[in-house]
Amino acid sequence: MILSFTRNLMNSRQNSLLLLLGLMVLAGCNRREELGPVGNLAAAEKIRESFSTGEAGGGGAAVATGTGWATLKGKFVFDGTPPEMQPYNVNKDMAACTIDGKAPLQQTLLVDDATKGIANVAVFVRSASRVHDSMKGGEGEAVFDQKVCVFLSHVFPLRLGTTMLIKNSDPVGHNTNIEGKNSFNQTIPADATIPFKPQKEEAVPVSVRCSIHPWMLAYFLPRENGYVAVTAEDGTFEIPNLPAGEDLEFQVWHESAVGPGKSLVLTTPEAKELKWSNKGRFKIKLAEDEVKDVSLTVPAAAFGG
Amino acid sequence: MINHEKHKRHEMNRGVCYHLMGCLSLIAVLAGCDTPSAPQFHLNMVQMVSDATPTPPEYQQQIADVLEAMFGTPDKPFVMPESGLDGRKLKMAAGPAWSDEKGAKFGLYRQHCVHCHGISGDGRGPTALFLNPYPRDYRQGVFKFKSTYTAARPTMEDLHRIMVNGIPGTAMPSFSLLPEAEIEALIEYVKYLAIRGQMETALTNYAFNDLGEEDVIDEKTGEPVLDEDGEPQTRLIALNPAEDAEQRTTVMDMLTEIVDDWNAANEQIIVPAEDSIPQDNRSPEEIAASVAKGRELFFGVRANCVKCHGPTALGDGQQDDFDNWNKAHHLFLESVAKGTDEELADERAEVAATLFPVRNAIPRNLRFGVYRGGNRRIDIFWRIFAGIAGTPMPGSGPASAGAQGTLTEEEMWNIVDYVLSLPYEMPSRPLYALPVNVESVK
Repeated sequence: MILSFTRNLMNSRQNSLLLLLGLMVLAGCNRREELGPVGNLAAAEKIRESFSTGEAGGGGAAVATGTGWATLKGKFVFDGTPPEMQPYNVNKDMAACTIDGKAPLQQTLLVDDATKGIANVAVFVRSASRVHDSMKGGEGEAVFDQKVCVFLSHVFPLRLGTTMLIKNSDPVGHNTNIEGKNSFNQTIPADATIPFKPQKEEAVPVSVRCSIHPWMLAYFLPRENGYVAVTAEDGTFEIPNLPAGEDLEFQVWHESAVGPGKSLVLTTPEAKELKWSNKGRFKIKLAEDEVKDVSLTVPAAAFGG
Repeated sequence: MINHEKHKRHEMNRGVCYHLMGCLSLIAVLAGCDTPSAPQFHLNMVQMVSDATPTPPEYQQQIADVLEAMFGTPDKPFVMPESGLDGRKLKMAAGPAWSDEKGAKFGLYRQHCVHCHGISGDGRGPTALFLNPYPRDYRQGVFKFKSTYTAARPTMEDLHRIMVNGIPGTAMPSFSLLPEAEIEALIEYVKYLAIRGQMETALTNYAFNDLGEEDVIDEKTGEPVLDEDGEPQTRLIALNPAEDAEQRTTVMDMLTEIVDDWNAANEQIIVPAEDSIPQDNRSPEEIAASVAKGRELFFGVRANCVKCHGPTALGDGQQDDFDNWNKAHHLFLESVAKGTDEELADERAEVAATLFPVRNAIPRNLRFGVYRGGNRRIDIFWRIFAGIAGTPMPGSGPASAGAQGTLTEEEMWNIVDYVLSLPYEMPSRPLYALPVNVESVK
């Protein structure tokens, strides 16, 4: 059809010019579409000028307003039918990575049968204006073990200053590949322990994998202070020695949560009271020596269920 | 085509139809194919619409503005003193390709690199799709073939070596015919694009983590303004360092952190202990003994090379992992397929459609005798010591100076010997075999 149309066009000499133009349209404008905005010169020049002449600001550190210390504790309870965990997709080193020929179960969303508590929810203070002596920079060692080709700490918080002892309790070799700012990837031989001292804080947990056994997955959360908790099997957590009288903002994270960056977003009435944000954060101000207990119901929808 | 359909359907007067076609073509030519506008830096849209840092269009524009303030445009790069970059070199590498009366060349990046590595250094130039491996995306600041510890940046010498040697087994050619000054200008430009890309990531994280929405406060009453439903009204806190001194400080701190890392690269070079380096004048028996030890390590549970490189070292072991660049796209495509984020669904689908097919990281076939990071013994030692940054390949040496390694340096040199012997070992009979010309190479 196009050919016959073209032939008709070619019948007339004056139309050859039109054909040429048509071809140019088809051939010449075939540029790849780039998505997203580009910089605006006027705005950029203003910003550039401010960098060279403007004064520097305060740096954003929270200002201390209170005295004394307090405790936050609580519990995350699953509301709905908990998902059944599937076995890991074990496809090599079957002898070492299975128990009686069965692959271990995944840990993407662990709900306690008896209490409905949700394990492995990370709760931590985003920035603290004051830090209790017992919560300052870490020291000593913390063991991060792997057995039956499963990381034994699924969500592993670490206070910077602490040495992480990466242990391999399996008869096969692993490598531990930590993404993010600390960027670590080293072979961990069978029955060996390799110490590693992370230097940089992360804003949210980062993944830990083993390239040899790609189903292995854990999360690592290095923080500058000890205001971090990961919920136990029954869904409970406790963070003592928090600065009282200050506005504290907590980040709540779970690997299967559907909020941005795997943040746990709650819209229940008790969460509204805490001004829960759409980035999985809540704010609280504790009185001196207060032990605040928050119990939070987490609907299955928060995990996309 | 649409005109053609009409033509067929309505038996329209032929003359009118041609006239219409001609006018349309003319308009299209005038409007659509004007002189191509100057190339622009574009944002990393995967990052912008990802699950981890969903970034509203307002912030995308503001991030593009701040980046332009700090780094300028592809035609006119800008150098902040804090960036530590050499403006004179960047000027040689940036902009359209041309040369002055004396023959000094400019626009080197666009002459030599852009068709693979792209204007923004995103590894998505026009030829990129046809290459395997895909060209490097500089924007993470991660480079594979370097002399430094895993987490460290490459040295300028590392980038220089890649420029001069190319990367054997890939589309990256050698630029050894270019004058030294031009190579150095290009290296500086690669560093510039990398720092710019790292800054983009830092700004995106900053906008997501620390800015975002705030309640609108009534200036007179000091109370939050409520919307129709009685909920507090919110607005985005603008990313605008021109108006906010605190943001200025934060943004400069981010740049300093990135630049410090680059400047520290020279202190992060892995220098093997003098007494562990094998001598040049080893006897065939000594070499054979070292190869045998290396082979044992290769297959053993300590070094574990066999798991990925395979029992025959053909690279046929673990093949279903990804490098960082492909993994980011893989995870993004997975999340788009899941479709959990309704709000950004259209943008995400649009971005997903522009991505190249995701590829697995295939372990190197060590039988070819082709070594991407260089074929000197020290190159292979560095690969075994630090692994390959951004890929599943782990290191076996200490992760940083003074840390504890998995293997001793001597053991890593043994593996170097074994790896270098592999092209001469029969794949069907994986036993040590001397090269056929062993007599003459003695």
